[in-house]
Amino acid sequence: MVNGPLISVVDDDESVRESLPDLLKEFGFSARAFSSAEEFLASNHLNQTRCLILDVAMPGLSGPDLQRELKHRRREIPIVFITAQRDENVRPRLLAQGAVECLFKPFSDSDLLAALNNALRRT
Amino acid sequence: MPKPATSTNAIPLETSIPAAPLEAILCTDELHRRPSRPPDYEKENQALVKLVSALADSPGTILQSLAETILDITQCDSAGLSLLTRDGKTPDVCGERFYWPAIAGMWNPHVGGGTPRNFGPCGDVLDQNRTLLFRHFERRYPYLMPVIPAAEECLLVPFYVAGEAVGTIWAITHSDRRKFDAEDDRVMASLGKFASSAYQALMHIEGLKFQVAEREKAEAEVRELASGLEAKIRRLVEANVVGIVMWNLEGAITEANDAFLRMVQYDRKDLASGRVRWMDLTPAEWRDRDEKALADLKATGIFQPFEKEYFRKDGSRVPVLLGGTFFEGSGNEGVAFVLDLTEQKRAERALRRSEAFLAESQHLSQIGSFSWRPAIDEITWSEQLYRIYELEIGAPVTLELIRTRVHPEDVSLIEKMIDQAGDGGHGFEWQYRLLMPDRSIKYMHAVAHSIRDQDGQLEYIAAVQDVTARRLTEEARDKARSELAHVARVMSLGALTASIAHEVNQPLSGIITNASTCLRMLDANPPNVDGARETTQRTIRDGHRAADVITRLRALFSRKEAPIEPVDLSDATREVIELTRNDLQRNLVAVRTELADDLPLVMGDRIQLQQVIMNLIRNASDAMRDIEDRPRQLTITTERDESDLVQLTVQDSGTGFEPESMNNLFESFYTTKSDGMGMGLSVSRSIIEHHNGRLWANLNDGVGATFSFSIPGAASVAGAAGPNEIAVKDQKHATRSV
Repeated sequence: MVNGPLISVVDDDESVRESLPDLLKEFGFSARAFSSAEEFLASNHLNQTRCLILDVAMPGLSGPDLQRELKHRRREIPIVFITAQRDENVRPRLLAQGAVECLFKPFSDSDLLAALNNALRRT
Repeated sequence: MPKPATSTNAIPLETSIPAAPLEAILCTDELHRRPSRPPDYEKENQALVKLVSALADSPGTILQSLAETILDITQCDSAGLSLLTRDGKTPDVCGERFYWPAIAGMWNPHVGGGTPRNFGPCGDVLDQNRTLLFRHFERRYPYLMPVIPAAEECLLVPFYVAGEAVGTIWAITHSDRRKFDAEDDRVMASLGKFASSAYQALMHIEGLKFQVAEREKAEAEVRELASGLEAKIRRLVEANVVGIVMWNLEGAITEANDAFLRMVQYDRKDLASGRVRWMDLTPAEWRDRDEKALADLKATGIFQPFEKEYFRKDGSRVPVLLGGTFFEGSGNEGVAFVLDLTEQKRAERALRRSEAFLAESQHLSQIGSFSWRPAIDEITWSEQLYRIYELEIGAPVTLELIRTRVHPEDVSLIEKMIDQAGDGGHGFEWQYRLLMPDRSIKYMHAVAHSIRDQDGQLEYIAAVQDVTARRLTEEARDKARSELAHVARVMSLGALTASIAHEVNQPLSGIITNASTCLRMLDANPPNVDGARETTQRTIRDGHRAADVITRLRALFSRKEAPIEPVDLSDATREVIELTRNDLQRNLVAVRTELADDLPLVMGDRIQLQQVIMNLIRNASDAMRDIEDRPRQLTITTERDESDLVQLTVQDSGTGFEPESMNNLFESFYTTKSDGMGMGLSVSRSIIEHHNGRLWANLNDGVGATFSFSIPGAASVAGAAGPNEIAVKDQKHATRSV
């Protein structure tokens, strides 16, 4: 059940960190949750992570900051951004910078699954 | 005829009604039937010679001499003359009365009396045009009844001048000792002719006397006038109010008063030496004008006043008004008055300068002026007003002309003003529009006040300013302000919506994800009931979390739930920090709090105070948005200060502000942010001052700024129910400057 590709979730919101890994496991993925970008970077799951579900606004390094940092480290993981701030300008900017998708909270499980499948096809 | 001895000369009408017919008192026919005494021609001649001599020597007494001669020659008791008169004292053939200029004998005391023309024996004689002899004539003329002594017989003879009866001579006997006879009739006829001559002589003499008197009177008037005029001229000369000079055609000034000499700065010695000559005093360019005056003088004897200039002794010039005339009968010498116009010219120059200044000022300030006299409907405009109305300068101004320019919607306003103004003196201020021929609109602001001119007539003086530019600016500003307010509302609403969406979307996201997971777990075979239960519990928790967010937002933005109450400022601050936490985190702002636990409560509007705190935190966050070279550090502190006031401080490490803008920070629409509205600090200060506190700003020693406010603790305002009551007790804080 937990043998699928590893999806890492980085979000400072506790309810997301608790709920999203369970849903991902229901989809058949492996899942890990981190409360900040720094925590993710410091973890030893960087290399196993096949897709990153990343909150845009977070204390410390933001989602885009982490995206730039990974590029800098030449560790390009497909990223699905999630955000509670429904700013229509944000999505095209993030997609232009290489994100697979940007979902506005709350999002449906089917949208999330579609985005993840897109992401995994890139790898 | 004599009048009653006891009354005045006037005869009352009721006593003049004839009592007996004329025939009853006449006995004229008896004259020639009675035995006649022989004529005494010698005596008669002597008497006539005497009368002629008297006429030559003393014409004024000739009538009295005639009366005495009648008395003497006829040997009667009373004799006299009756003459027609108008005024009762001088002869006049057109008169309606008789008067008695001379009486001799017993009735002599009645000299000067008289009777009406139509009610007496004299009138009857003139009517009959012949000599009449009366006996006891008081029987017909009752007014003669009381006269003493009464007349027995009266012989009355009319006399004439140029065929016109002018009077009578008469002789009276008061007893029957003798009766008149034919000789008396002859003598009286002869004396009647003399009376006619005497009358004419007298009238001639009176005429001469009148002419002499008139001439003397006229001469006296001329003498008086001459002496008065001379005195006046002398006073005029000596008063030195105007300059007066005597001159001749050779160019000399032969005499002058001090006023003239002062005018041209010469003295009496100069005048006596003959150096002061009008020709020499006249500058070359005025010689032609002098020539014209001389031509007028020769033609008419005078020259009308004209303006010219004279040289003063020092070479400067004096403007004068000059007028003059030849002396009467002289064709060479004359007199002239000279008026110094220096002050008048100076005043005229000042007036012209003042008018020029006024016109320029009106032009620069776009202010015109006018005067209006309602009584005669006379309107006078300044040139600038013509320009404003775009009318030809000098065109006659009428109310009809004005109406052609006034905006149709404002015509009734103007007419109302005119009606009110015509009723009496008021001050007015009004605004109206002009609709110009090119359809453009001008906005006018007029102020008028009333005065009374020297004749007491009402006059309005008004200033009219073209305020079109100002009005358009105001309209543009109002529009901009309105748009700004709208943008602010929209932006506030947008920010609020975004904030609510963000706060709510987080737990909603958890709810939906948990619910989706739950469904999948239940759909599994076998269903994962334990997992479903756990996700459902998380769903419930996130639902509560969303509800909490809504509750906090409602409390923050609803005025209804914001009573005056004791507020723990540290608690209120914690709530705000919690609400702004996401914003701050997004902006990578590190928050440090130093919130005192033992803070005195403050009395106030919790929500309003929280709005201030939120505003200060957001400002600090915004001020650090572009800071990349140092930590974005926010420190929020609450404490009790040395004055026992509760103080909150928000310190940031942002861009700060220009020291010189310190005083403007709290003004509306002042902002250091490129996208700010400048309303937050202004509103915040109002709120804090409403709580009798103060809000102020400082630049930090290092980087960034610190905003603080302090408000009195509830303990210091024990018993107070709200901020307004606090104001009374802690006014010193309210007046502290920002």
